[in-house]
Amino acid sequence: MSVGTSGTDGVGPETDALWVALTTVFTAPDGRPVPVERRALTPAELAGLHREDGEVVLVPDDAQLAALLPGATAALVVLDGDGTHDGDGSGDPAAAAVALVARAPVGRSHLLAAEAVGAATGGLRRAVGALRTEAAVIDALHSVGRRLTAQLDIDRIVQEATDAATTAVGAAFGAFFYNLVNQFGESYTLYTLSGVPREAFARFPMPRNTEVFAPTFDGRGTVRSDDITADPRFGRNAPYHGMPEGHLPVRSYLAVSVISPTSGEVLGGFFFGHPERGRFTGRHEYVAEGIAGYSAIALDNARLYERERNFARELSRSMLPEAPAVPGLELVTRYLPAATGPKIGGDWFDVIRLEPGTVSGTASGTASDRESGATAFVIGDVVGHGVTAATVMGQVRTAIRSYALLGLPPSEVLRHVSALLGSVAGSTFVTCFYAVLMPDDGLVYANAGHLPALLLRADGSIEQLGEAMAQPLGVGATFPERTAEFRRGDDLFLYTDGLVESRSRDVTQGLEWLLEALAELPRPLTGEACDGLVERLTGGTHDDDVALISVYRTGEAG
Amino acid sequence: MVRPERVAGGPFDDEPAGSVGLDEVPEGVVLAVSGALDLALAPRLQRTVERAARLRPALLVIDLTGVTFLASAGMAELVRANRQLRGEVPVRVVATGRLVLRPLELTRLTDELAIHPTLADALAAG
Repeated sequence: MSVGTSGTDGVGPETDALWVALTTVFTAPDGRPVPVERRALTPAELAGLHREDGEVVLVPDDAQLAALLPGATAALVVLDGDGTHDGDGSGDPAAAAVALVARAPVGRSHLLAAEAVGAATGGLRRAVGALRTEAAVIDALHSVGRRLTAQLDIDRIVQEATDAATTAVGAAFGAFFYNLVNQFGESYTLYTLSGVPREAFARFPMPRNTEVFAPTFDGRGTVRSDDITADPRFGRNAPYHGMPEGHLPVRSYLAVSVISPTSGEVLGGFFFGHPERGRFTGRHEYVAEGIAGYSAIALDNARLYERERNFARELSRSMLPEAPAVPGLELVTRYLPAATGPKIGGDWFDVIRLEPGTVSGTASGTASDRESGATAFVIGDVVGHGVTAATVMGQVRTAIRSYALLGLPPSEVLRHVSALLGSVAGSTFVTCFYAVLMPDDGLVYANAGHLPALLLRADGSIEQLGEAMAQPLGVGATFPERTAEFRRGDDLFLYTDGLVESRSRDVTQGLEWLLEALAELPRPLTGEACDGLVERLTGGTHDDDVALISVYRTGEAG
Repeated sequence: MVRPERVAGGPFDDEPAGSVGLDEVPEGVVLAVSGALDLALAPRLQRTVERAARLRPALLVIDLTGVTFLASAGMAELVRANRQLRGEVPVRVVATGRLVLRPLELTRLTDELAIHPTLADALAAG
């Protein structure tokens, strides 16, 4: 950053005024003004002059004068910009300098003037320098904060935070211990290191709640010590009474808690060490606390995101049924939440045993179903993801179950649910294939915009059932019904779009691949075969849920 | 004038693999969708439809010519736009090729949406 470069010759107006003023301060021993010439100095020339931060006017000594400006009797060098060192000599505006050169004999007035300028501006210049350093700290803090809070990957957050904080406080090494809760609700602690290889700490146990560490783990405030070994809290806890043998030497010590802004819970703590005494200042403490604050937000975000994801997954799982045992049928059911990405929730399947005699069926309903009962198969997909999709799915599943148990035929079940959805949620869009297997081998089905079901015949041929019969639930109003024969030795295969389509494979292609893959599988389809099929078709990285039902009609009578 | 929606992206959302542009033409407004119109891009289409609706165009064309993947989330947005603007702004959809047409056929949305093979056709249709 350079101060105003809008004046003439690319220097600030203050500098320009200073030139003019200082041009008049060269006087002969008798007090008369002497002529003064201006000469710009190159960064290389300037580098030969000793100067300190904050100095604006330099007075070259005789030797420097002779080397720089042969024949001159006196000179003042006026620095532009903030007078700070241009360390790399790149000649940026901060290093611009002009020599005011007198060649006639002079008195001491120019020296007095230089001193006066130095006295008047020194404090100001130093204040500017300090503020500039402060601004750099804030810039750094801000950029760390932005980086940290823009991600959700806990491993990356903690490592970046540890590196950034260790650098910012000038520590020899830094560590970040943080607490996580596993899927069983148990808390455990992990750590990252910066400035030292992990092996340097590998032999030591996790830091315990000793008197030195406790304030940080308890969230009782920052601990900063010029020499922790001289702290009254140090060395009071068995077994080590200080640092374990072989621990990196620590004198300067700084520790900051990371506290969740939402729950107030201590998420972890930053620990910084340096082998020399008195390395950490109040500024370092401030910066470390700033990074700890950003880390807390980032970790909170990551944990909340993870919780949402798990919540949607658990919700979806908890609402899925165990397929009941149905005499005469071998059932395989699967619900596989998206392996990558946030698209969890919304797919479901259901298998419903209908009371004998309940299903009227517009297309079927013979005397025999009153004896052995019918079975309904449902597969569907709610558009959207997360908790919203999962809860809509739960409602749709229950609605379908209820209408099914009332004995309504497929077209009526779907019509009612579609009307229900249209009145409940604005633009929810649910695809669903609903089929009822009658005891007489008849399969009555209706399809609300779902992918076609597949009937794998005992002879190896595959029939597609119900392609493009009706619009999705929530959109369509009528759902025609069709029938097929589902005979012993046949497999009925129902699935959701996660199995056949993705950004890299459109549904036409996906369906072809599914048909090819199914044709190669041994019959009847087993659970392992279905798992292998999912693996094969999605490459194990499905970014959408996959649900499927595979029904095999055994030879035995139902 | 094409004003593409800001490309957001980030860890909080699935990265959209597509874009939605808004183009004002003499006949109305054209929304040109390209890439994967799925769960990640659908919210952007929704926002752009709402922006387009505020312009009170004589016609809204959603051009799916550049769409490489049409997921159910995208189709739900087409239905939403169509129903939301019903009676106010005619909505037409440009769809061609199996990548886009097959999903629309499987869901019978071809019955619901006014589908045209080309943008010129959609703009010219009476």
